[in-house]
Amino acid sequence: MKMNSSTKLLGLLTISASLLLTGCETVTETRTIDSQGPEAVNTSAINSQDWANAADQLVNSLLSSSALDSAPRTPAVLAVDRVINATTLMIDTDLLIKKIRVALTQTGKIAITNTMGLGERAVVASEAAELEEMQSGKKQKLLVPDYTLYAKLIQQTDRNKKVTQNTYSFQMSLVQPKTGLTVWEEERSIAKQTKNAGKVGW
Amino acid sequence: MKYFITTKPAALVAAGLGLMLVGCSTNVNTYERAQSEAAPSYVADKRIITDNTLAGTFRVVSINQATVSGNLLKIQATVENLKNKSRTLNYKFEWVDQDGMAVNSPNETWKSILLQGRETQTISTVAVTPRAADFRLKFRE
Repeated sequence: MKMNSSTKLLGLLTISASLLLTGCETVTETRTIDSQGPEAVNTSAINSQDWANAADQLVNSLLSSSALDSAPRTPAVLAVDRVINATTLMIDTDLLIKKIRVALTQTGKIAITNTMGLGERAVVASEAAELEEMQSGKKQKLLVPDYTLYAKLIQQTDRNKKVTQNTYSFQMSLVQPKTGLTVWEEERSIAKQTKNAGKVGW
Repeated sequence: MKYFITTKPAALVAAGLGLMLVGCSTNVNTYERAQSEAAPSYVADKRIITDNTLAGTFRVVSINQATVSGNLLKIQATVENLKNKSRTLNYKFEWVDQDGMAVNSPNETWKSILLQGRETQTISTVAVTPRAADFRLKFRE
């Protein structure tokens, strides 16, 4: 069976078109990665690995200091004070604070109060305390915090013709309310440089 | 005098290469006390190498340990960049309890550190639970 030239050409065109279409097809691919690993997308903002690094460095510093050695009880009661976000980013500061809370609670040296400060579910905890008071007829005795934790996030942006640098500072202080003294302080910074996109002049 | 004519280009090339190398390198010079006053508690370590390229880039000089906050294990490793250019090292500490079970602490995450050419730096971590008895230090590119 002989094919004429026009059929041959049509066949070739069909094959070429299908090859082209296959080449252009973009398949959406999703893979699960370690959220705090090196595969995490790096941007000029604070990414998941940065949060993990900052929290780890701050916890390491606190535990390596002798600040908690003189705690009046074990576990010492900690109230989380304000966390000020002075960056231009819309961020949930719990990305930092929760990691620190988890680590400190696991040490067994710290118990975090939920009835004052930025304790989680502080409203529910207060309501539960009120209910307990109503049912027992006794005034609930709330533990006075031995320490309060204060944090601030700062962003400094520096630019030159080629590079924009964002330096994020994570400042944290542990205060003893009884004395008003700061018993531990730390500042850790992460600097990120982004090459500026080339501009086209007209 | 013919000798000078033939060696001149070679010398120029060598000098150029030398200048290029100096321009590219970010090597670090280090000075420290000749007789160290510190008395670290060194850990005898076992090394499992699966990436020879990585092992040829970063060397663990020593690992030492201490106890902080009463009962928490602190591990510090001294790492050297064996190359003449700055390199980023990804590392992770993992904790193991007395029964050999993984602790899975929140601080067991990959971290990055930039080492300049031939620089030696320390990396450290504190176990956030007193259950941590042993550790594993992992490197990756």
